[in-house]
Amino acid sequence: MKSAATPNVVSGVRHRSPTAESPFVRWLLIGGALLFLGLFLVVPLLAVFAQAFAKGPGFYFKTLADPQSLSAIKLTLLTAGIAVPMNCVFGLAAAWAITKFTFPGRNILTTLMDLPFSVSPVIAGLVYVLVFGAQGWFGPWLNAHDLRIIYAVPGLVLATTFVTFPFVARELIPLMQAQGRADEEAARALGAGGWQTFWRVTLPAIKWGLLYGVILCNARAMGEFGAVSVVSNNTQGQNTVTLQIETLYKDFNLTGAFALATVLTFLALITIALKAWIERKETTLKL
Amino acid sequence: MSVEVRNITKKFGAYPALYDVSLKVGTGELVALLGPSGSGKTTLLRVIAGLEFPDTAEGRVLFHGEDVTDMPAHKRRAGFAFQHYALFRHLDVFENVAFGLRVRSRRTRPREAEIREHVERLLKLVQLESFAKRFPSQLSGGQRQRVSLARALAIEPQVLLLDEPFGALDAKVRKELRQWLRKLHEEIHVTTLFVTHDQEEALEVADRVAILREGRIEQIGTPDEIYDHPATPFVYDFLGNVNLFAGRAREGAVIIGEIKIPAPGMTGGPETPAAAFVRPHDIHVTRERSGTATLAARVRHSHAAGALAHLELERLDNGEPFTVQLSKEQFRQLRPRLGERVYVELRNVRVFPEGS
Amino acid sequence: MLRLRQRGVLPGFRLTLGCALLYLSLIVLIPLAAAFVKASELSPWQFWHDLTTPRALAAFRLSFGAAFLAALANLFFGLLVAWVLARYQFWGKRVMDALVDLPFALPTLVAGITLATLFAQNGWIGRWLAPLGIKVVYTQLGVFVALLFIGLPFVVRTVQPVLEDLDLELEEAAASLGANRRQTFRRVILPSVRPALLTGFALAFARGVGEYGSVIFISSNLPGKTEIVPLLIVTKLEQFDYAGATAIAVVMLLASFALLLLINLFQWRSSRYHARI
Repeated sequence: MKSAATPNVVSGVRHRSPTAESPFVRWLLIGGALLFLGLFLVVPLLAVFAQAFAKGPGFYFKTLADPQSLSAIKLTLLTAGIAVPMNCVFGLAAAWAITKFTFPGRNILTTLMDLPFSVSPVIAGLVYVLVFGAQGWFGPWLNAHDLRIIYAVPGLVLATTFVTFPFVARELIPLMQAQGRADEEAARALGAGGWQTFWRVTLPAIKWGLLYGVILCNARAMGEFGAVSVVSNNTQGQNTVTLQIETLYKDFNLTGAFALATVLTFLALITIALKAWIERKETTLKL
Repeated sequence: MSVEVRNITKKFGAYPALYDVSLKVGTGELVALLGPSGSGKTTLLRVIAGLEFPDTAEGRVLFHGEDVTDMPAHKRRAGFAFQHYALFRHLDVFENVAFGLRVRSRRTRPREAEIREHVERLLKLVQLESFAKRFPSQLSGGQRQRVSLARALAIEPQVLLLDEPFGALDAKVRKELRQWLRKLHEEIHVTTLFVTHDQEEALEVADRVAILREGRIEQIGTPDEIYDHPATPFVYDFLGNVNLFAGRAREGAVIIGEIKIPAPGMTGGPETPAAAFVRPHDIHVTRERSGTATLAARVRHSHAAGALAHLELERLDNGEPFTVQLSKEQFRQLRPRLGERVYVELRNVRVFPEGS
Repeated sequence: MLRLRQRGVLPGFRLTLGCALLYLSLIVLIPLAAAFVKASELSPWQFWHDLTTPRALAAFRLSFGAAFLAALANLFFGLLVAWVLARYQFWGKRVMDALVDLPFALPTLVAGITLATLFAQNGWIGRWLAPLGIKVVYTQLGVFVALLFIGLPFVVRTVQPVLEDLDLELEEAAASLGANRRQTFRRVILPSVRPALLTGFALAFARGVGEYGSVIFISSNLPGKTEIVPLLIVTKLEQFDYAGATAIAVVMLLASFALLLLINLFQWRSSRYHARI
């Protein structure tokens, strides 16, 4: 029996609910928030597109169709295409172990899963250089066998995997924790096998969380810059989209850089739209 | 301090919560607002506290004759205890109770020592002296309810408003707190309104009971009046513990099966369907037919556990079931057997036209 | 009879835990350990020397200082945005709610070049600030602006759900006890969201300290003035000064671990605090 926080007017006197602010304060707060969000989120978003089309649509599409852009897109798709499925599968495995069983060190494992999230991407790149670089642990051995990881595609994949490591697991763990294991145990008691239980009981219950985790993981994988820029230093002709944007920007080809940036911006917009959609779906499902 | 509401109408969307409700509560009175869920009783309480406002200009709230309708909640000094207590989780028991004193303006705020003394006295009153340093999460439901009461009392309220004060507690604690509230009220004597859907609670604790139904006050009176002279079938039904006999009303009497009972309310006119209400202890059971005003019935079930015995009977003419309550003594004399035929005499019958 | 051992009924414990541990070790733990092993090869004197060069000290001061100030500012703006989104209805609210995640989803590099362009002397925003004598691009203020952008979702998204779940009855109780709206905010609402605010602050700060992509384009990256720590690491790597880069990285890692621990502590405390009554 809660009324909406709208004031009602009786006989000229404004009655304000004790849980509402005066209209003046309310509009001041809304105005302040909108001004801040507008300046910091909407204007930058518009600026990306304005800059990208500064030289007209012809130049825009020419930049996107440029062989270097296309090869960068291809490399980015390849990197994300390896990193995301890996993080997805292992994120699921980790979430399953952490939420469906109790074992000593479970909380430590959960915390360690989050570790890459708080490590600077630059350091993520650095540690791979220390392991696989020319002076690193495996450097001499790799060199002897004519294998390259750092300054080559495998390095990009590894650095991207590191940076996007926690995204799937951290979406799934709270979700699966809340769901408990009663459903799975019921399925087992009814005679379902291990895989059947997973496919028919667990997966349908977590599909939206999993989807969001994968989408976010993908957006970050395709947009990663710091880590890949460290492991790809001076890689000739092997640029991801972000590295290609940096190259264009540093060559003072601002319009070209932004044209390519719109590709990643679209990806970001799709990601947040999907997130909003999934959240809406979840709240309507809960009701 | 008296409290009066006049012509309160309140809608939530299209759903009317209160419809033209007026009520006056005298100084020091303890009044129960009784009704099923959705009857508007909580809304009425919230309007008095200033947490909701009447929809129309006719709707007024008066504290001791002074119109407070346009006064915001924080200036009304109406102590409100919420059904789910609404204790501040980040404050301990002491600070919860002290809250209302600490937020007073600098001029009227008591000194720290006075606050301490005041809060300690209240904690003693609600028997929680040793819990001052506990946090709400460390208390039982009954203890939280008492903290919430002490907190509402701390502001020396003009009126105390309790929303389902015992609603969230288990049966045993409810009973204890009920008596405790009655005692507390006798001690501090602050004008009190409390909302409940439990008729037993309302009848036991309150000086007067207002029965609400679909946003209107159906009847208001002392527990005796309400119980003995229900104004409407709804009140009869809601107070429970009643048998309903379907019959026909004609010329100032109602006919139930073979018997005719005078019903002064039903005047003349054509024959209309009517409902007769009789409490289980107003039915007299005999083995033999005595006089003409008796109905024949069959014994379906009997149980005599507790201070009173209960019979479940079934009318012979139409199979309608009803319940009879008798003393252990009467039960021993009667010794009803299952399936046996008995005769019942109805006393204190209240007749209402069907559909009223 | 079914064998329902505590751990026996659901399958795959060893398999999934084994996979998770192996993967975690290979991708995260062993590479991170490499940094510590490398650092341990340095002599303490050299380690100390690498960390205390004026250039390194200035970078640390800038990275931690700007991240701290930006997180502090986000505490205010984040609470404002979270409050408005949780409490009010207004046109465009759903879009704004979704857009709050933009800094999280937008590649940092895109954010970096966009902010640099916007705040440039002739940029959409910069041209309004220039007459006021405010210069953002290529200054320490620019670093702050970039970190403000990056940190916003962390505060909003930790505070917003707490505000949405906040029981209105608590505010009604405060009002009925005589508290005006300001007192209710300060004494009831703010304490209820304080743990979430702290968590959001720590998350934004941790992210800001390690941020690279969004900062290096808006900053002039001048050693000793506008150079952030992650950039210093990159520069040292480019000069093949692995030891120097590692020394700094190890300090940053330790700071990250400490922050991660702190964040977990906050979250544990706030979850205990908000145990339903």
